[in-house]
This record gives sequence, C-alpha cells and structure tokens, in this order.
Amino acid sequence: MIVSMARAAILVTTLPILWACGAAWAQNQAVAGSSATPPAPAAPGFVGSNACKTCHPDIFLNFYKNAHYKSIASGKEPPERTGCEGCHGPGQAHVAARGGKSTIPHAFSLMQPKQVLDTCLGCHANDFNRANIRRSEHTLNGIACTSCHSIHHSPTPKYLLAKQQRDLCYSCHGNIRAQFDMPSKHRVNEGFMECSDCHNPHGAFAPTWGMGQKPRMIEQALGNEDACLKCHVDKRGPFVYEHPSVAIEGCEICHTPHGSMNAKLLRRPVVFTLCLECHNGGGSGTRNQGVDIQSARHNLLDPKFQFCTACHVRIHGSNADEYFLR
Amino acid sequence: MGRRLLLLLATIGVLEAQQVVAPTPEQVGSARGDNVGDYNITQSFELGYRFKDVFGDEGMYRSAVDMGNGLRLLSSSFSINSKDGHGHYFDEITLNTIGLGNDNYQAAILRIQKNRLYRYDMTWRLNAYFVPGLTVAGGEHLEDTIRRIQDHDLTLLPQSHYRFHLGYSRNTENGPALTTAQEFDASGVGFPVFENVKRQWNEFRVGADLDFAGFRLTLQRRWDFYKDDTPLSSDGVQVSPEPGDQSVLQQFQRSQPVHGSNPGWLGNLFTKRRLWGVNARLTYNSGTGNFALDELALGIGMFGTAASRQIAVGGDANRPDLAGDFSVSLYPSERLTVVNNTSISSDRIDGQSSYTEADDGLDLGTTIYFRYLADRLVTNSTDVNYRVNDWFGIYGGYHYSDRLVSTIEGQGLPAFANSFSSSLYQVSNHENAGAVGLRLRPLKPLTINLDGEKGRASYPLTPISASDYHTINGRVMYRLKNLQLSTSYKQYYNLNPPMSFSNFSSHSRSYNANASWTPRSWFALDASYSKQHLDTLDGLAFFSALTPLSASQLQTGFSSLYISNIHSGNMGVRLALGKRADLYAGYTITKDTGDGRSAAAPPGATPLQTLLDSVQTFPLTYHSPLARLSIRIAPKIRWNAGWQYYDYAEQFNLLGYDQNFHAHIGYTSVLWSF
Repeated sequence: MIVSMARAAILVTTLPILWACGAAWAQNQAVAGSSATPPAPAAPGFVGSNACKTCHPDIFLNFYKNAHYKSIASGKEPPERTGCEGCHGPGQAHVAARGGKSTIPHAFSLMQPKQVLDTCLGCHANDFNRANIRRSEHTLNGIACTSCHSIHHSPTPKYLLAKQQRDLCYSCHGNIRAQFDMPSKHRVNEGFMECSDCHNPHGAFAPTWGMGQKPRMIEQALGNEDACLKCHVDKRGPFVYEHPSVAIEGCEICHTPHGSMNAKLLRRPVVFTLCLECHNGGGSGTRNQGVDIQSARHNLLDPKFQFCTACHVRIHGSNADEYFLR
Repeated sequence: MGRRLLLLLATIGVLEAQQVVAPTPEQVGSARGDNVGDYNITQSFELGYRFKDVFGDEGMYRSAVDMGNGLRLLSSSFSINSKDGHGHYFDEITLNTIGLGNDNYQAAILRIQKNRLYRYDMTWRLNAYFVPGLTVAGGEHLEDTIRRIQDHDLTLLPQSHYRFHLGYSRNTENGPALTTAQEFDASGVGFPVFENVKRQWNEFRVGADLDFAGFRLTLQRRWDFYKDDTPLSSDGVQVSPEPGDQSVLQQFQRSQPVHGSNPGWLGNLFTKRRLWGVNARLTYNSGTGNFALDELALGIGMFGTAASRQIAVGGDANRPDLAGDFSVSLYPSERLTVVNNTSISSDRIDGQSSYTEADDGLDLGTTIYFRYLADRLVTNSTDVNYRVNDWFGIYGGYHYSDRLVSTIEGQGLPAFANSFSSSLYQVSNHENAGAVGLRLRPLKPLTINLDGEKGRASYPLTPISASDYHTINGRVMYRLKNLQLSTSYKQYYNLNPPMSFSNFSSHSRSYNANASWTPRSWFALDASYSKQHLDTLDGLAFFSALTPLSASQLQTGFSSLYISNIHSGNMGVRLALGKRADLYAGYTITKDTGDGRSAAAPPGATPLQTLLDSVQTFPLTYHSPLARLSIRIAPKIRWNAGWQYYDYAEQFNLLGYDQNFHAHIGYTSVLWSF
C-alpha cells in the first residue's frame, strides 16, 4: 500500500508541478510588462473598469484585495469576464446616463435570486462544492449568493462573506444560535470551529446514512460519512462489531450536534433512557426481531446498571466484544 | 460612505455573535493599510492576559467554558496584497489567528497565493478537550486531551483549464483519560482504569480538474492512515463500591493498538448549459482496520476468591464503500428549475476477530467471530422550483428512499471441526416523502417562507427512527439597512407504529425571534429569543428487581417520557462613547424549565417509578452576562478590558451528583496595528 501510494504520489505530483512551472513561466512572460490598469475593451457596450473608477473610487481603490481582481490582473479575460463589467455587465449605458441603478445591466440589488445565482454561476458553476446548489435548501428558499457574500465590503479574509461566518448563519438560524448557547456544545462561538466544517451552504450530496436525503446541507467526510467523523476519527472504524444504529442512522441517533443541555451533546440527561428507548425489543433492528432487549442480569435499580457506558465503553464500535465491553 | 458602511456592517456583525468576552472585535488602524513597494500591508495584534475565578464544580466549568489564566495573543490579523496583481513570488498573504499562546481554543488560518500560478490554504486548530467525571458515566469517565487539527491545500494553476491539487490533513489527540474496565464477573462493576490516549490520523490527497468541451472533470485520489496506540493500565488498586461485592482490581493492563487506512477515489463530471446541467459523482473507499488486544487483569472476584483474566484478540475489519450521484437540472424558462437526483451508496463492513480468554488459569479456548453489516441505499428526489412573479415563488419535491440492511453473524471454534455457523438477516425500508414550500416578498425588505414535508417509512431500523413524520417551517424576515427583524417557527413530529413494547412518539417545536437595530453609528442593539420544546414518549422494557433481594424480572408497563422546554435569550448593546471608547454589554440566558415540576419525583412513588420520574425532565439554568470596554489611546492602539460571568445551576442534582458552578472570567489587552 505504502509503495503504491508513494509511486502514485510521485508521478501525480511531480508531473503537474513541472507542468505548472512551465505554464506559469509562459504565463508570466505573456503578462510581463502588462499593466494592472485594464485597457479599454473593444467589445461593444463595454467601457472597462477604468471608467467605473471615476465615479466609484471607494470601491475601486481597494479592489486589488478582492479575489475578483484576478480577472483584471490577468489581462487575458474577455470583457464580459473582466473587472466590474465581468459581474455587472457592459457599462456604456450606465456611463451615458451618468449613473443610476436601472442602467446597470446586472444591478444585484434589483435582481431576483435566480438571476443573481445565474450571474455568479457564470464563472463559479463548475466548482465541485457547488454541484448541488440548484436543489439546495437555500436556493429553494430564495437565498441568493448576495444574501451571504458581500463582494465589495466583506470583513472576512476569505470567501468575501458579508459577516463573520457564524454571525451570517445565526442571522437566519436563530434557533441554532440558541443551541450554541447551551453548556454542552461544539466550540463555534469560541472560534475553534465554523459552520462550514460540517455544512455546505451551497448544497450537499445525498448523505449515505439517512433516508430521504436527510440531513441536508451536510458536508460529508471524504468517505461519504457523517461529517462528525472528520474530527472524531476514532469513531470511524471499520469495526468488527459496529453499533448498527450509529453506522446506519448516523451520530444524530444519540447526539444533538449543535448544542445540548445534556453532557456530551446527548439527547437525554442520562444514558440509560437513551439506550432503553431503542433496546426495548421494539422496532425492526438489524436482526428482524427487534432491537436487543437488555440482559436479564441487569437490575435497573442497581446504580451500576444505570450507567450503561461504564461497562459498554466502546459503544461506538468494538473489535473485541459484541457488547462493546472492550 | 463606503467606510461608514463597512463600519456599520462590522458593527452588526459584532452584535450578532454569541458573545465570548475576548478577543476584542473592535477595529483599530486604517482599513486601507500601508503601502510598501508594490504591496499593501495591514496587520493588527491583540496581546492580553486572561484570568478566571471558579466556584463549585471546576470539572463542569472546564467542560462548559474552559478559559484559563495566562498571557495570550488573543488575536492577530496580517495581510499583504500585491497592488497590481503581478507580485514576484506572491500576490496575497493573509494570516489570522486566535488564542495563540495558551488558550484552550486556538486557530490559525493562512492563505498564500500568486495569481494564475498557485494558491495555498492552511488551517491549524487546537482544542484542549476536557470531560469531567460526568453523571452519565457514574462520575468515572474523564478526559483531558488535546486535539490538534491541520489542513493544507495547494492548488496549482488555479485559473487555468487544468488545475492540480495537493492536500494533507492531520488530526491528533493525546492526553490522559480515565475509563472503565468490567472484569471477573459478568455482572461486576466497571473499575476505573487509566488511559493514555494516543491517536493519530493523516490524510494525503492528490487531484486534478480538467475543463474540456464545456465539461469539468474532477479526479481525486486520497489515502488516509489511522493509528490508535492507546494503552490502558491500573489506576491503583480499585475496590468495588457495591455493598456485598468483594471485587478488587489489583493489577490491570491492556494494549489495544488499531492501525487502519482508508484509501479512496473520487471522480466528478459537471456541465452547465443554458437550458440544462448535469453532475455525476462516483466515490470509492476501501477502509481497513487491523487490530490486536492483549489484556491481563488480576484481583479478587465478587465472592472473595482470587481471580485472573487474560484476553487476546486479533483480526481485521474492512469497509469497501461505493457511492454515486447523478443530477440532471433543467432550466426550461427563466422562472422554472427542475432538478432530479439519484444517489446510490453501498457500504459493506465485514470483520473477523479471533478471541481467546483464560479465566483463573482455565483456558476457555479461541472463538472466531465474523460480522458482516451491509447498507445499500438508493434515493431519488425531484425538486421543482417556480417563480410565479417577482414577489411569489413556489417549490415542491418528492423524495423516495429504498434501503436494505443485511447482517451476517457467524462464529466458529477452531478446536472443533465444522463448528462454524452463521445467520443472515435482512431489513428493507422504503420511505416516501413530499415537500412543498412557498416564498413571498410582498415588499422589498420583507420575505416570508413557508414549507412543509410529510414522509412515511415502511420499516424504520430503530424504534426512534423517522417513521410517520411531518415538518412545518415558517420564517418571516424584515430587513432594512439599519434594522433587521425576523421570526421563525419549526415543527417536527414523528410517530412510530406500535411494535412489541414500543410506541415511540416525539414532538419538537421551536419558536425564534431576532432583532438587530443600528439607528446611529454609535449605538447598536441586538436581541433574540428562542423557545425549543421537545416531548418524547417511548415504551420501555427492562429488567429490574422490585425488592433488593429478589431476582430481576422483565418490566414492561413503564414508559420513557422526556419533556424539555428550553428558553434562550440573548441581548447585546454597543455604545461608541465619543470617538475614543466602545462599550459593549451583553447577556445570555438558557433555561430549561422542564415540565414545571418542583421536585424530581413525587413523594411516595415506588423506587422504580421514582428513578424513571427523576429523569423525565432536566431543569437547568445557564446564564452569562458580560461587559467589555475598548478605548482608543492612539490612532493605532486600543486598550481593552472585559468581564464575563457564567452560572450553571441544575435544579435537581441528577442521580445525586452536584455539578453546579459559577465563574468570573476577565481579560485585559492591548490591540495595536502597525
């Protein structure tokens, strides 16, 4: 395995790097001497970003820090993909009218969400993590790109978000914000995590652990697993003795992922009720005859049997014991 | 104008976060930075000292808050940008950090890129993870570990038609922990044992994107390697706390290394045309885990006789996993989008384990266990999204899922020929769900969204899985430049059909209201309220002895009722005092009122009913006021100080454990930019 990995890695990495260096040298030669000031385009209706700078210096003066400045710096993009007009459309009518939103072909504040989406996806459609944006919950509910991204006034270092990511999400998902106020929670407010560690706001592929393509908007771990396993790798397995409910239904069968009033993000304040709600012989289970009922040796009134995980320590999966004792 | 708008946006952003007293969010220095040659540089650092004072259960404090004393680089921000987009080695470097030094939550985010040539992104995070001896584990499971996570991604030729990706991720967890080991007797206690957690996960990624003929092909190859070399050993001599149980664990050691890997492939083909689009994805991963376990326990058994136990286990587990998605999107008109998605996944886990045990010197022999768990899932969904006019849109969807879970359980005794036996079980579940929603925008700042979903599953896997369920969601939002009002309602009801002892039902409802108001650049107010209700009812079946000396009997007449009513409030006020000082005051409260009862269990109930009643509800109040003052003492320097108070108060001490605490957290810092 190691040898094959190393061989493949060397081949797959060395060749692209050499190719990249060659291509970059060629590109640098091509753009050497070119100025960042974009030339006025020859295409009809386009006036070039210099014309925009005259009236919008507050936007243009800092625009070199914007990811979209690449289109100007490149010097190779066609007018309809360059600078201001790359997003807002040809500016000749706007200039001729001496301003006014209605003369801007793509004035985002006047556009319908789908129009905004189409405009942005004109360049960003092909990115793998946006492959499901057309059927995402956000799109279905009229949340367009500009609902979350601020192209000209972003306070974030990456992704041009309109606010810090958690604030952005909280501004609509107030109930989730309340869950992160609870004593047991993932450390989003402390800055250790971000919502996008687990969620893909652009829409996600169907989860492999839930029926009905639920939960939605979850950014899966690379093995198509529950997002929790990106960090909690020790719960990943494979195990000889999987806990079927965990492997098939996912972590949420026992845990609430954002925050909980109960320890360890559990759905119940004590473990035995959590376990007994499934292990009561009811339901189908993987053996057709109901989920196993607890052992007759257990006496629930004995405190040691109230702490199920004090003995069943490997509750997420075990290699040595079918009852998860080691 | 632009700068004022930026400040306004930043201000709103500050207020909408759940508050943690530090780092200080106020800005200092010029947003435009300083020009050096062909580059522009902005940077700021906040260096400060945190202090804490905790009363009550410090373990629970560390679990819920975990801010410590000491000097910190509370936050830093650095960016350098090429002004013409043609830097020699790079066009952009940004580095942002929080908590470096000694905070229990630390992070650094770095990006370096040169247009057209490369882009490198790095994220590094550290979390000191502390779990006290919690009530859920009888006060015995404790963890004090540090988790470090890092991700590196390098993209070559990011603006080209062919891009190459290299990636590396690492996740480690190290530190001491206490766990439990159940030894000697099948009904014995779990003895506390020491665990030295050593886990490590490394992932390597290589991939490429290729654009051709309007398609984008993405290929990725990845390898990850997992190692868990956590040893367990005696935590001193442990005596059973059970009356009448003479068990003593005198010596204990267990090694249980697990080494595994998950190599995988990902391929994706995407295209978007004017009237249609297609996305196809296929992934394959082949996880393996090789393990061994060597355990020795010596001591005294439940009835006072010398006891020993030796266990040796070895084997491996495998998980080939295949998943594919195929989406077709149609855009027949400007107003209509139709997306059909079909997903398949096949997850097969098979493992073999050789288990050998010797109790009190008696060799019980070796058993070979075999387990196979397969999950085949096919889903198809169709979503239709139609905009009727500029202020009204509707959407609907139909989702179908077909899942087959197969289990094979087998075992054999090598000492006996032809002793291998196995059983096969299969469970098939079909779910049909329909969803419909509408969105209204009667006024430009006003949006209204309503949607609902109804689903039914034929044979859910567990008694609490989604069976006959519906959801209702509603959201109203009113947004102006300096005022945002929103309210939402969410409902999820699930009812499982009666089966044996089970008849599960759950109802969850959440109500939420938020307001953010920034009437002046020097004043901002943010407030929110949320109520989350949950009630569940499930039939129980368990064993219990009704009197101390009687044998356990099956109990079936009881139910597991759980009622939670959580009220959450959050308010923050920001005042800019002149041009020099910013004052922020905030308050957060989360209160579970349970079902309103005043005692965990009514007096006079039987011991069993008392136990079940005492866990039906968990009233708890957790609140935290805070105040922060930030003073600009020079154009590029601010001095900051803040205080935050945490109070955690359970109304009923769950299972007799008192975990309540209150704590004062403070900090003072200097924030400067240069």
